[in-house]
Amino acid sequence: MLKHFLFQVFVKKKFCFHFFMNASSLFHSTINTLALRPWLWRQQKFLSPQLAIPLFPVAGKKNSCDLLALNETDLEEQFVRGDGPGGQATNKTSNCVVLKHIPSGIVVKCHQTRSVELNRQRAREILQQKVDLFYKGENSDIFKEKRTAEKKKQEKKRRAKENLEKKMHIKEMQESDSK
Amino acid sequence: MRLLTSPLRRMLSGLLNCCEREGGRPSKCCSLNPHHLLPRQNFSAKPTAAELVRYWHGVFEANRIPEAQESSEYIISYVLGAKTIHSLSASSLSNPLTSEQQQQVQWLSMKRLQRMPVQYVLGEWDFRELTLKMRPPVFIPRPETEDLVSLVLQKSQRSGSPAVNAGHRCPTAIPHPVILEIGCGSGAIALSLLNKLPQSRVIAVDKEEAAVNLTCENAQRLQLQDRIRILHYDACSGSWEQLLPWGPVDTIVSNPPYVFHEDMAHLAEEILSYEDLDALDGGNDGMRVIKKILALAPFILKDLGVFLEVDPRHPEMVENWLQSHPELSLSISATHKDFCGKPRFLHIQKHKAGDSSNKKDFACPSVHLP
Repeated sequence: MLKHFLFQVFVKKKFCFHFFMNASSLFHSTINTLALRPWLWRQQKFLSPQLAIPLFPVAGKKNSCDLLALNETDLEEQFVRGDGPGGQATNKTSNCVVLKHIPSGIVVKCHQTRSVELNRQRAREILQQKVDLFYKGENSDIFKEKRTAEKKKQEKKRRAKENLEKKMHIKEMQESDSK
Repeated sequence: MRLLTSPLRRMLSGLLNCCEREGGRPSKCCSLNPHHLLPRQNFSAKPTAAELVRYWHGVFEANRIPEAQESSEYIISYVLGAKTIHSLSASSLSNPLTSEQQQQVQWLSMKRLQRMPVQYVLGEWDFRELTLKMRPPVFIPRPETEDLVSLVLQKSQRSGSPAVNAGHRCPTAIPHPVILEIGCGSGAIALSLLNKLPQSRVIAVDKEEAAVNLTCENAQRLQLQDRIRILHYDACSGSWEQLLPWGPVDTIVSNPPYVFHEDMAHLAEEILSYEDLDALDGGNDGMRVIKKILALAPFILKDLGVFLEVDPRHPEMVENWLQSHPELSLSISATHKDFCGKPRFLHIQKHKAGDSSNKKDFACPSVHLP
């Protein structure tokens, strides 16, 4: 499994979109085809959101994770802002952020919020998780957490099935006693 | 081909008879043509969110409403209690909407069909971490301005580093900064700064009473009213003494009207019909209010400086104007680009007398310039 998705990644290493088959449900990323809009690739150099949030998560369920830090100079951002003059002269609501990690070629897209700044921060969080998974594979905390969560889910299902079987058995016993 | 449902037709007739649009310019008539509404060919009896998004996207496109897809998505998400369609689960998107929800979607979409900006349609919008009430004609905060706040935060929070050149100023972090915002609008900048700088205080002023009221309302909703003073004040005509309830200020921040007057006519219908044009029109050179702010800065400002959002043509124009007004002792210490790569933000500081170095692209060493 690991070899399979790493193979996919290496084959598509140059600029393209990656789809992590096992982790995609966690990370809200989507395969995206470039629309014919004036996309602007920009080397992220100014006012990186890392000033607002630390690059490794410090709160929430992943606060025990030790993820590889992202270097802002390795990132390129893309924004949909259209052809207009921008600033006050424009009032557009599309604020999707597309963020690329140049060394690995991994790209994430985020339009979860109505704020460009929050989308940029969220894109970095998602990208950091993907990059960590990319370089560490099964050693990544992301991978381990996912596996633990799956095991718990399976265990829960198994217990529920056992309980149901027990109840059905008891019911059968009661019915046969009453006859 | 199925016809429009009769409740929808009645609503349309009501809207067409109404000459006075909510918040719009009274002279502009309703341009809605019901024949441009699409028939609901593929609707089930109880449409799902996904079906409604597709339907209204089609209607907006047929009526040449800009951002047809985004408008449809934001409206339906809002009715379902979410900020964006992408934050809704797959099951939420495939659940049928109640009839009340459908009616609400229709009502909001009718407003969008009149080219009302989405932010006014929903009556709210997000700016960084904050959700703010929006109401015409108070200026809607633009996404670029989120970076202006980042810039002010960066300079306010950074600890000092030794000066490298004469006139170079890298102040230590100020423990209780007093920030003046000129032209606060909905309160986006002021309230974001208060939210991120718990020790700060803000004086927010605007020449429009509607803006003062909306900033007040947003401050109370966010429980930030204790650290903000909101004044009805016109920077072009008011006396600067009114700006000193807490003494000289550490920083002035502003997103002043900076559109060149000749460009005003080319703005989108959403802007021209619903937003306060005085919040946009900066006069012939777009610098009418910028100049007023810089002219009063020396009287009220301490060391952190002035942070302005401007038109991309302004950095050079402001530089020249400051050089032709040496009595102000101000110069641009840094110019920063927005996320589209356009020069958008100026950091202007007091310089020491006799310093003649070119500060056009100068910045403190730890600040990274694009």
